[in-house]
Amino acid sequence: MVGPVHYLVLAAILFALGAAGVVLRRNALIILMSIELMLNAVNLTFLAFSRFPLVVRPAAALMTGHAAVFFVIAVAAAEAAVGLAIVIAAFRSRTSVNADEFDTLKL
Amino acid sequence: MEQGWLHLIPLLPLCGAVICGLLGKKLPRHWLFTVALGVIFLSFLLGVTAFRMLPDSGSARFLHETVYQWFAAGSLNVTLGLTLDRLSGSLVLVITGVGFLIHLYSAGYMEHDASVHRYFAYLNLFVAAMLLLVLGDNLVAMFVGWEGVGLCSYLLIGFWFEDDAKASAGKKAFITNRVGDFGFLIGMFVLFQAVGSVQISDLNAAVYTLPVASLACGLLFLGATGKSAQLPLYIWLPDAMAGPTPVSALIHAATMVTAGVYMIARLSPIFVQAPGILMLVAIVGGVTALWSALIATSQNDIKKVLAYSTVSQLGYMFLGVGVGAFFAGTEHLLTHAFFKACLFLGSGAVIHGLAGEQDMRKMGGLKKYMPHTALTFFVATIAISGIVPISGFFSKDEVLGQALRTSAFSFLTLTPTSSIHLSFVGPALYVMGTFTALLTSFYMWRCYFMTFEGSYRGPAEVHPHESPAVMTVPLYVLAFLSIVGGVLALPENLAEHLHLSRFSWEVFTEGLFAKARGGEAHHYLPEVVTYGIALAIGWLGWFGAQAYKKGVEGPAFWTKLPAGMHRALENKLYVDEFYGFLIIRPLWAFARGTWRIVDVMIIDGLFVNGAAQVVAFVGELARRFQNGDVQRYAAVTAAGVAFLVYVFLR
Repeated sequence: MVGPVHYLVLAAILFALGAAGVVLRRNALIILMSIELMLNAVNLTFLAFSRFPLVVRPAAALMTGHAAVFFVIAVAAAEAAVGLAIVIAAFRSRTSVNADEFDTLKL
Repeated sequence: MEQGWLHLIPLLPLCGAVICGLLGKKLPRHWLFTVALGVIFLSFLLGVTAFRMLPDSGSARFLHETVYQWFAAGSLNVTLGLTLDRLSGSLVLVITGVGFLIHLYSAGYMEHDASVHRYFAYLNLFVAAMLLLVLGDNLVAMFVGWEGVGLCSYLLIGFWFEDDAKASAGKKAFITNRVGDFGFLIGMFVLFQAVGSVQISDLNAAVYTLPVASLACGLLFLGATGKSAQLPLYIWLPDAMAGPTPVSALIHAATMVTAGVYMIARLSPIFVQAPGILMLVAIVGGVTALWSALIATSQNDIKKVLAYSTVSQLGYMFLGVGVGAFFAGTEHLLTHAFFKACLFLGSGAVIHGLAGEQDMRKMGGLKKYMPHTALTFFVATIAISGIVPISGFFSKDEVLGQALRTSAFSFLTLTPTSSIHLSFVGPALYVMGTFTALLTSFYMWRCYFMTFEGSYRGPAEVHPHESPAVMTVPLYVLAFLSIVGGVLALPENLAEHLHLSRFSWEVFTEGLFAKARGGEAHHYLPEVVTYGIALAIGWLGWFGAQAYKKGVEGPAFWTKLPAGMHRALENKLYVDEFYGFLIIRPLWAFARGTWRIVDVMIIDGLFVNGAAQVVAFVGELARRFQNGDVQRYAAVTAAGVAFLVYVFLR
C-alpha cells in the first residue's frame, strides 16, 4: 500500500534532481526547468500531507494544502514567464544562454 | 617695593630678537645694529635705574613686579613675577652691560657674515632669556630662562651649521645640558611637593627635613653641573668654542655658565639645610677647577685654553658657594665675567686679525701688530692669574680663604649631636685650589706669551692687523672693569682704610644669603699669610711660563715630565673617549639593538606587515566564497540546508 513516505521520498528525489540541475547545469533554460522541478516537488509534499495529515483535522482545514499548491503553480507560471523573458533578452545581447558568461558584475 | 616696569628689562631684548629675526634680513645693516644694540642698551639703562632705586635699608631691599598670573592647575599657581635685589640687580647690570659691549664688538666681528641678522636675533634672545632666569621670582620662570639660554647656546654654538663639526658641537652642548636640566626639573618637583609653592621666597622661607633638602639640592646641583660645566658634565663647554668668539665671551664665559652658581646662591637657605650636598658642591668645584686647569696647560688652541680656564674658574665659584660663602662665589662670578669676557674678546680679535688662525703655535709676537689687544689681554691675564692684586686676585683669594676657614662641613646632619667631623675637607680644598691657582697663572701666561711675545711664527702670507675701534673699545672697557672690579672683593681692613667698604660685595650683599650652618670659622692661617701665598703662587706661574716667550716647547721642568702625561693632557685626559666608551657606545649599541629588534622586527615586521599579511591571507581565503558564481552559492546554500536538516531532524 502506498503511504506518505513513498510520496515524500519521491518528492525528495525530485527536489534533489532539481537542485542538482540548478547547481550543475550551465544552460539558463535548463536551470529554469530545474527550478520548476523543485517547485513541483514541494507541491507534491503539500499534497501528500493534505492526503495523509499527521493530526486529525476537519476536512475544510485539509484543503489549505491544495490551496497552497495552486498558489505555487500560479507563482511558478509567473516566474517562468519573467525568467524566460530575461533569458531571451540575455540571449539577444550575448547570443548565448550559458550562465557562466553572465559575469559583468564580477571584479 | 612694587614696580610696574621691571618686565621691560627682559622684554626689550625679546622685542629686539623678534625684530632682528623677522625683519633683519630686509633691514639695512646699520638699522639692524641699531635695533640689536639699542634694546640691550635701553635694558641696561633700565637696569641702572632700577639698581639706583633699590632701598638701602628696611626689611624688603628689593624691587618686585607681579606681571600676570601665568597658569594655575590645582594647587600649582604660578604667577610670573620679577624680583630685582642686589644679587639679581648686579647680574642684570653684568648681563646687559657686558652684553652690550659684546654686542658692540660683534658688530665689528660679524660684519662680513651673511646671516648676521640671525646672529643678533639669537644674541638678543639669549639676553632676554638670561634676564628672565636672573629676575624670575619663581622656579618655573627661572626654568624657562634656564632652558631659553640653553636653546640660544645651542643655536649660537651651531651658528655656522654648514660645518658638521660645529653643528654636532651644538648638539653635544644641548644633549649634555638636558641631563642636567632633568635634574633641575625633578629638584623643582621635589621642592614643590615639600612646600606646595614654586615661589623662591616661599621655598627659601621653608624648613626641610634633611632627606628632602639633600634630594632637592642634589638634583638642582645636577642641573648646575650641566649648565655651569662642572664634572662630570663639563665636556660640552670646550666643544662649544665652535661658535663665534663673542658668543663664547657672552654665553660661555660671562653669563650663562654662571647660572648654576647664581641658582645655588639664590636658593642658599635651602642649600644650607643640606650640608652633605654643600660639601659635594665644594668638592666637585675644587676637583673640576684642578682637573680642567691641568688640561688647559697643554692645549694649543687659544680658545680651548680659555674654555678650560672658564671651566676651572667656574669650579672656583662652586667651591665658593659650596663652602657656604655664597658671597665669595658670586663675587668671583662678577669679576670673572669682566676679565674672562675681555680675554675671550681679545682672543677673538687675535683670530680676526690672523684670518681665522686659532693655533697658538702659529702666533707669537703679536704685541707689535695689535698693541691694543695685547694691552687689554695683558690686563685680563694679570686679573685671572693674580700676580698683582686686582679683581681676580681678590675674588679668587676670597674663595680660597673661605674654603680654608669654612666650618660648613663640620656636620653632615642638621643636628650637631649626631655629627661627623669633616673639618679637614676645607683645608684640603684650599691646598687643591692654591695648586690650581699656580696652574692658572702658568697656563694663562703661557697663553699670553705664546700669543703676544717672541716672534711671529705664522705663515708669511697672513698679515696680522689690529681690529677696528668698534672691537677695541669694548676690550678697553672690560680691561678697565677687570681692574676696578677688585673693589668688590677688597679685604675688609683695606676697604675700610680706602673708604670703599660700601662697595665691598660682602657688605653689599649682607643678609641676602643664608649663613652656612656649622660651628665657628677655623683660623689656620692669618689672612696676610694667605694673601702672601696667593701672590707668590701667581708670580711663580708667571716665572714658570717665561720660557714660552722664546718658543713653543716650554720650560725645562715642563718638558721633562713623562711623555705619556703630556699626551694625556693634550688629549684632554681622554674624558671624551671615556664617555664614548662608557656611555655613548653602549647607548648606540642599545639603540641599534632596539631598532633592529623592536622597530624592524616587532613593530614593522609583526605589527605593521603582520597585520597586513593576516588581512591578505584571510582575504585570499574569503575570495573563494565570493566568486560571483550564483550556482556555486546555490550549491553551498543547498549543502548548508541539507546539513541543517540532517542536524535538526536526525
